[in-house]
This record gives sequence, structure tokens and C-alpha cells, in this order.
Amino acid sequence: MSQSKADGAPQLSRMPTGIAGLDVILNGGFLRGGIYIVQGPPGAGKTILGNQVCYDHVAAGGRALYVTLLAENHDRMLMHMGEMQFFHREEIARSLEYISAFRILEEEGLKGLLTLIRREIQGRKISVLVLDGLVAAEHSAPSELEFKKFIHGLQTQAVVTDCTMFLLTSAGEAAISPEHTMVDGLIELSDEQYGWRSVRDLHVRKFRGSAYLRGRHAFRITRNGIEVFPRTESLLSEPSRDPAGQTKQITTGSASLDKMAGGGLTAGSTTLVVGPTGSGKTSLGLQFLSAASAAEPGLHFGFFEANARVLTKSDSLGLGLRKLVKDGHVELVWQPPTEDLIDALADTLLETVRRRKVKRVVIDGLSAFQRLTTSADRIPPFFTALVNELRGLGVTTFATLEVPDLIGPIARAPVSELSTITENLILLRYVELHSRLFRLISVLKMRDNEFDPMLRELLLGKNGLEVGDSFNNVEALLSGFGRGVEAPASGDHAEQTEKRR
Amino acid sequence: MQTVLVVDDEFGIGEVLEAILTDDGYRVVTAINGNHALERLAGNRVDLVLSDLMMPVMDGAALFAALQADKRYARIPFVLMCSLPESNIQNRIKGYTAFLHKPFKVDDVLDAVRKVLGPPTA
Repeated sequence: MSQSKADGAPQLSRMPTGIAGLDVILNGGFLRGGIYIVQGPPGAGKTILGNQVCYDHVAAGGRALYVTLLAENHDRMLMHMGEMQFFHREEIARSLEYISAFRILEEEGLKGLLTLIRREIQGRKISVLVLDGLVAAEHSAPSELEFKKFIHGLQTQAVVTDCTMFLLTSAGEAAISPEHTMVDGLIELSDEQYGWRSVRDLHVRKFRGSAYLRGRHAFRITRNGIEVFPRTESLLSEPSRDPAGQTKQITTGSASLDKMAGGGLTAGSTTLVVGPTGSGKTSLGLQFLSAASAAEPGLHFGFFEANARVLTKSDSLGLGLRKLVKDGHVELVWQPPTEDLIDALADTLLETVRRRKVKRVVIDGLSAFQRLTTSADRIPPFFTALVNELRGLGVTTFATLEVPDLIGPIARAPVSELSTITENLILLRYVELHSRLFRLISVLKMRDNEFDPMLRELLLGKNGLEVGDSFNNVEALLSGFGRGVEAPASGDHAEQTEKRR
Repeated sequence: MQTVLVVDDEFGIGEVLEAILTDDGYRVVTAINGNHALERLAGNRVDLVLSDLMMPVMDGAALFAALQADKRYARIPFVLMCSLPESNIQNRIKGYTAFLHKPFKVDDVLDAVRKVLGPPTA
């Protein structure tokens, strides 16, 4: 029912779909009494969407009617829907009806179908109607004009009966069909192939009377039905909260790294740690999380190492993460980067941060996002939106990014523009010196602090991470192959290190 | 059986009002503007006029004025339909029987008609 504005004019009210991501995209749901086309190829998920909307509507106290033309047999459809968690058999024939109108369409044409729908809606007090197989109605129309008149008739009925209608169709070869111009909204479902992988997406092409999130949004179908994930950079084009102008410094978890960073990290900042495999990126992240507390809860959001391995690594570094997890101050979330959606990952990350009021986040392995995206163009705006949102939530973020080359110069960050959206940048490298490999740590950028620009050794041991001495009397370390420039009286760096050990 | 004259230029509205009122047991005559409505009145005994305000050729306000000026039709109840709030049109037209805000619901239409004509008679 429409609400009234102060001047007596009716205000459009919403019908939530029960699909959280879709409701976000639609700014609260479909408009009641509207008529919407859901279009997509066979297998795109139209029937599931139609059913899910019906079951959610009846669960909220409404009444729904599912009308099929030349579509799936009802018994088969109910068997398939029976696998879904939204399915409630007890609602069928009580508040949700399934009827076939194909014979009426064959015998009485579009006018007969329109009359049937109107009478069913009025007689059963239906507030949501799904017409599955609109293409059959289109094919039975004697002319394009008659089909447009049919759609117009449905639209008028939707308004006067306050019934929200969904017309499901697999048609869509033409970019714009006549019926598209007449309905209140058009939602396109597709299932695209990316190499060996298929990714479903939903695109709201038209939505009269309301703002909505434009563009394509990924979705998946599971036993929970359809789950839609609004494109992160679209959803968070502006962060939900303005980042506070922070000046407070928080510890990296290591006194020696704090010193190198010029006093620690600015609260709410993002630090990108770049380095090859085994160079100490995860350890640096775990060190950062070891300073989590009840006041500053932590989250390890990892991709490549399962939680048990993360804890084992923490144990070997003597960081006490296991106890922090046990005490509820740190949560470990492992998301294997196999077939997931980057927006689903962002959703999980942000949901965990909000739920646990997390203040320290380690995202271990940013390349997982890159691996899962279907378009490399998305990565810079995606990370910008994600980082801005984390800043807005007052989270200090430590993100690691692997570079492919173990030894040798790094020409550029493997994810373009990433380094520009983070406040702080730390580089980890292996360096060969006198037939031995050393771990090197270098602060390249610390936006708010005067930092130590020296190239220093990174030491990992039973007491965690320690930033060691600078590499004196050697040069070209960032090439990966240091060379001595002059032998000091007290010996070279390798000798000094051995003595210290 | 009471007869309702539905006057609306918009495709679909006249059709759906005709269907709703016919299903409820009234006889319905339709017209697409005020001028057309006057022609229909000449050949039908009408118990109620359900008219849109904004129409081509002759709008609802002009139709109502024409009915008021004609002794044969002056007593026919006139229900005005408009997508503007009633407060916006009261300076243009006064004295009509009832007002229906568009978009209306089925029950709003049936309530308005029943209130004036009573339940349909066979």
C-alpha cells in the first residue's frame, strides 16, 4: 500500500526481496505495485529468483501467485525448489499458489490471460505475482502492438491491485524489446564464462522511480538460494563513514619496526607490505596482530594459509596469537582463493570487521583478489573502495602482496596503483651477500611519519620479528645482489650478523 | 442494474475500471474524453460518472460544468479521478461527489462507487 506524503500524494513504498544484496542494489527493494521483467538465458537463475521472492513475501505475511506458461512442470519445479532453504512446503496452497495459464492463453489469447490474472489477483488477494514464461505470451500475440497492450494491461492491474509483478523471460536477443520500454524495471541475469570458470551476474538495466546501483553485480546460487554481492566499488563509492583525521600512533607489534616507521603506524592507516614468498610478509602481519587486545580486536583475513598453519607459524615466532584467538581478541578467517567472488570476499571481510568492531586487520595475500576478479580494470577502484571503507571504520590495515621474483629488482608493484592508495609501503626482499641470503626490510613510504630510510636486515626468530642493522659498506642491495664497497675495520655485514647470532 | 460511465483517455485505465466494476455487478459504459462522454450519455441511462480530470478535447472539469448546466444530467453523481492531490485542483472544480486519487486501488474504486450507488442490483 502506498504511504501518503504531507500533501496527500501517495508515496512509493517498497517490497523487499529478502535477497539482501539485491535489496541494497535496489535501494530497499522493488516498488510495490510495479511490474518488472527478469530476463536471462536458460539456467541463469530466473525461476529460483522468482520463487525466492515469492517465499520471502509469504513469509512476511503476503500472498503470492506463481503463474507458468510454457515453463517447467510444477512438480519438477517444486522438487528443485525443495533443495533450497527458502522453500517451505506448508506455504503452498495456503499463501502461495502455483497455476498454469498456458491453456487459457491458447484458448482465449492474451485477453483471456489478462482476465485470468486479474481475477486470480483479486480473488486470492495476491500481492506478488510471478509470470514465468513471458516469451510464450509474446509468441501468441498477433502483433507487437497487441503484446504491448497486454503488458500495459498487466501494468495497470499491478497498480490498481497493489500487486508487484515479475515477468520471467528468456527472450533478450534484441538489446531493447518493446516490453522493456513499458515495464517499471528490467533485471538481466547472465552466466559468463571466464576461462574455465563461470561467473553469474545481475544487471539492473532499468528501475523507474528510484536510485539504484548501476552496472553488473556478481551473484551465486547455493542452498540459500540467490546471494547477490553488490560491486564493492559501486556500493562503497563513498565510505559509509568519513574517516576521522587520526594522529594517534599504534604499534606494529615490534618495537624495532615501530622505531624504523618513525613511531608506529597512524591509526586508521593502511600499510602495504610487498615481497617475494618467504620474505616475512605473513610474519610481519602476525606480529602486527599480536598487539591486538579487547580494545583493539584483530582479524587475520588470509587466503593461502589455513588457520591451523597460521597459528603454527605464530607459535614458532612466539607471538601468542593462539591465546588471543582463544580469548576472542583475534579472529582468523581463511578464504581459499578457488572459485569465490571478490565482492563476496569484501562482504565477508567488512561484515566481520563491523560485527567484531575490529581495529587491526591483516589481509594476507592481496593477489587473491586479483586472481578471482573477472576484470583487471576493477582492481584499483575495488581496493580504493575497500581501503576507504576500512579507514572509515577506524581500522588499521596491514596488507601483504607477493611479488613473483625471489631475487632481483622489482620493477613495479604487481597490482597497479595499489601503492598509491595506501599510506605506508614496506618492501621486503631477499638479498644475496657473500654467498648468503638475507631478508631485507625497507620502508619506502610512511605518509605521516619521518621514517628511517635505511635498508635493514629483517630477523625472524623465536621472539618474533626484529629489525636489525643496516647493511653497511654494501650497495645495490635492491637489485638483489649486494656488493661490498669497502671493507670496514670491524668486518663486513655478514660477519657482524654472524657475531650477533 | 446501475450503470457507471467511466471517462478516461489513458489506455488501460478505462479497460481495467470496466473489468473491475463489471465483475462487481455494475453495468459499465466507457468514454475517452468529456465530449465522448456527453455522446454516451445521450444514449444511456447513467447512474454515476467516474471521470478523469486531465483529458484531451474536453477535460473532466469542462465535462462536470456541462453536466451541471444540463437539467437532464445535473443530478448524476460525479466522481473525479486525478493524479494530483485534491488540494491542487479544488480551485478549478467544485461540487463533485467524491474524489479518487490516482493511482487508485481496486478497493478504493469499489468503495467510492458503492458509497454513492449502494451495492449492485441485478
